[in-house]
Amino acid sequence: MLKILIPTVMLIPTIWFTPKKWLWPSTLTHSLVIALFTLTWLTWPSETAWSNLNGLMATDPLSTPLLILTCWLLPLMILASQNHTTNDPINRQRMYISLLTSLQLFLILAFSATELIMFYIMFEATLIPTLLIITRWGNQTERLNAGTYFLFYTLAGSLPLLVALLMLQNKTGSLSMLTLQHSNPLNLIMLGDKLWWMGCLMAFLVKMPLYGVHLWLPKAHVEAPIAGSMILAAVLLKLGGYGMMRLMNILEPLSKQLSYPFMILALWGIIMTGLICLRQNDLKSLIAYSSVSHMGLVTTGILIQTPWGFTGALVLMIAHGLTSSALFCLANTNYERTHSRTMVLARGLQMVLPLMAMWWFTASLANMALPPLPNLMGELMIISSLFNWSPWTLTLTGLGTLITAAYSLYLFLTTQRGPLTNHLLHMEPSHSREHLIMTLHLIPLTLLIFKPELLWGWIF
Amino acid sequence: MVNFITFAREHWMNLLVPMGFVIGWYLDKQQDKKLTAFRNKSLLYSRELKPGEEVTWK
Repeated sequence: MLKILIPTVMLIPTIWFTPKKWLWPSTLTHSLVIALFTLTWLTWPSETAWSNLNGLMATDPLSTPLLILTCWLLPLMILASQNHTTNDPINRQRMYISLLTSLQLFLILAFSATELIMFYIMFEATLIPTLLIITRWGNQTERLNAGTYFLFYTLAGSLPLLVALLMLQNKTGSLSMLTLQHSNPLNLIMLGDKLWWMGCLMAFLVKMPLYGVHLWLPKAHVEAPIAGSMILAAVLLKLGGYGMMRLMNILEPLSKQLSYPFMILALWGIIMTGLICLRQNDLKSLIAYSSVSHMGLVTTGILIQTPWGFTGALVLMIAHGLTSSALFCLANTNYERTHSRTMVLARGLQMVLPLMAMWWFTASLANMALPPLPNLMGELMIISSLFNWSPWTLTLTGLGTLITAAYSLYLFLTTQRGPLTNHLLHMEPSHSREHLIMTLHLIPLTLLIFKPELLWGWIF
Repeated sequence: MVNFITFAREHWMNLLVPMGFVIGWYLDKQQDKKLTAFRNKSLLYSRELKPGEEVTWK
């Protein structure tokens, strides 16, 4: 565990001492090497599936894919940010990369914590670098408003979680994840227990985000710089899913009744956010709403609490992490050239950047869950477990899938096809750096379907 | 010689991350030793290892 964590800490002084001309190549190489070393976590030799244990941290089949995704994202974020920060003063560039690295540090600690309070602290700690990235490096003045939304939505959801966790500590005497899953079911009958159930889940439902408490997400995505959007879509939302999966097994007797409204809300959210995507003219906002829609499916997969639902949720979280991050990178390549997120201003790009059109095509197909990508596997597993619970859910999930296909087509057609506007004729050609980012997103996604056991969580 | 000094001055910080890895690897080993210190030592539960078995549990 520490063999990844300490190099990540050491990356911060490296960033500050590296000469200016080596800053980006050197940090990129180091972070990529760290990411490659995390692949050693992909074995679970122990009987309990917890491995790489030390006093405070461990990995298991649920946290490992998320940990590796976190570490994989740092080199990609560094690659993606290189162009738009070149005009910044050098110390500001160093600060930017340091914040991204600190975010990786907090996320590793959050995903690998074996104690719920430590998980909670790290869950909250990730807010600070993300907030700084959004409000300091965002492009418009609305970024301050977006930062406020982001901070207060998340905090309002997560303060009850702190109280709920302290109450749990009082009741059981321990918050260790290693033992909590083996403890006796709690006697939850009173109204206060129901409030406690809500307190335990609300923070994660806001973070996911559940439809209804999702308004912070499109704002944050639209205003954040590219690295902020990438990490937000790829990993920070998944913190919510991860936390829910960890806590679901102690909330047991109550979840059966209390999760109904949230499941319905999440399913309804898939359709509503899908419809919002269909009439969206802001590119980043469309991708953000599509994230809300996909995460709605993940929420129901977790709340239904079947092995298939859990596995599907984990598979979809990882697949969606890579896909949405790739889509944000593509949106950024447009933004860097046209300086606008408005979709009609950057249409017909297939004629100017044909290879980029191929990446758009692949990423849009991944977003609408094309076979054989893991996105489809995750969606199918969740949809079938929901169908098994109640056949009526198929109307909602089926319609949701249809709308997803429709807005993916809308996204692709609007950006790539149609008449080319005059202001796009003298566009900068695409960089090999941009193609590299896309390759590094889509290759893991394609390779994962050859060995999906890595994403199956506890089932395997 | 001058070239070497310039090289070292420009690139010494690239050793920090590999150094972190070595320190982390060492500390991980120490933790493993600490957490498995009493493995197969209990009088009640200790047993002989089966052929080909390295340890009783990992």
